[in-house]
Amino acid sequence: MSRFRPTFFIPLIAFLGLVMIGGLALQGTLSGSRNPNQLPSVLIGKPAPDVPLPLLQNNQAELALDAYRGQPLLVNFFASWCAPCRAEAPALEHLSKQISIIGIAYKDRPQDTRKFLQQYGNPFVAIGRDDDGRAGMAWGVYGVPETYLIAPSGQIKWRHAGPLTRDVITTQLLAKLAEMQ
Amino acid sequence: MIRSGLYILLIGVFVMGSARLIPPLISTANAITAEEMLADPLLENRARNLSQKLRCLVCQNQSIDDSDADLAKDLRREVRAQLVQGKTDEAILSDLRAKYGDFVLLAPPLAKNTMALWLAPIGFLLLGIAITLGVRRRASATAPSPISQAERAQIEALKQQHKTARTCDQP
Repeated sequence: MSRFRPTFFIPLIAFLGLVMIGGLALQGTLSGSRNPNQLPSVLIGKPAPDVPLPLLQNNQAELALDAYRGQPLLVNFFASWCAPCRAEAPALEHLSKQISIIGIAYKDRPQDTRKFLQQYGNPFVAIGRDDDGRAGMAWGVYGVPETYLIAPSGQIKWRHAGPLTRDVITTQLLAKLAEMQ
Repeated sequence: MIRSGLYILLIGVFVMGSARLIPPLISTANAITAEEMLADPLLENRARNLSQKLRCLVCQNQSIDDSDADLAKDLRREVRAQLVQGKTDEAILSDLRAKYGDFVLLAPPLAKNTMALWLAPIGFLLLGIAITLGVRRRASATAPSPISQAERAQIEALKQQHKTARTCDQP
């Protein structure tokens, strides 16, 4: 019975394989290259959804994304009740010097949105009101903040769910923007 | 060794269960409130059925029927609004897929990139059957063959020898 049996090692090899897969996934998560909370957007490469929204500044007028064709554009879903939105406010302020940013107030009350902008600054060229979250649904928004990069042609090029950090801006957003120009 | 085949069968069932290819044994309480429901019981029934197939993208492992998240509520409302408009179940599912991607469906559709997921349980099942059969065949092949006449004589001789040895020992 002391014969060498290669089948004896099959469970061991299978186990080591599982450990390796788990280790790689964990390493990806820790290094930030893999984030299970980041769902890929299916709208990448598709035209930005055209959901008519009233402007925060003026109920009677509608936000028209078409008016911004011919230049790259950022669309940022935010809300006064969203803490990470406060955290990313300085980043948006900084970005607004190089790209036009449209804000969409997601499921917020206009008076709260106004107060938020007074407190944390207003980096937006225009702000649409998505009171019931229907526009968010059309864009595939599943939490605020979410930021979309729109090409001059009106196509969605990139989406980030969660606050824009320095790392996300430099390694992803600015790289995509440079690609476009 | 037969046990290892059974373990692999169990793993197969577990994989199928976690991929929601078979219905969960425990159903969690649903989050729907009375005012969300449609008056038409037929439409409401379809809405409930659809809600159980759709993933809440905030909690990710609950259906929108189970989830209390705000987004789940919005999606339930959207499903019902589209049902009232007279859309078919398939049209509603494909509309939400176009916005949120395949991930919004709790049971992933059979496609090239989900082939491994769908075929893995069958693969495990076949592997389990193969191992079980292999083990049983080997067990029957290595079963001891009946002893021959010569061997029987040898045994008798040994027994005799043993007996005489024992009687000699006695004082």
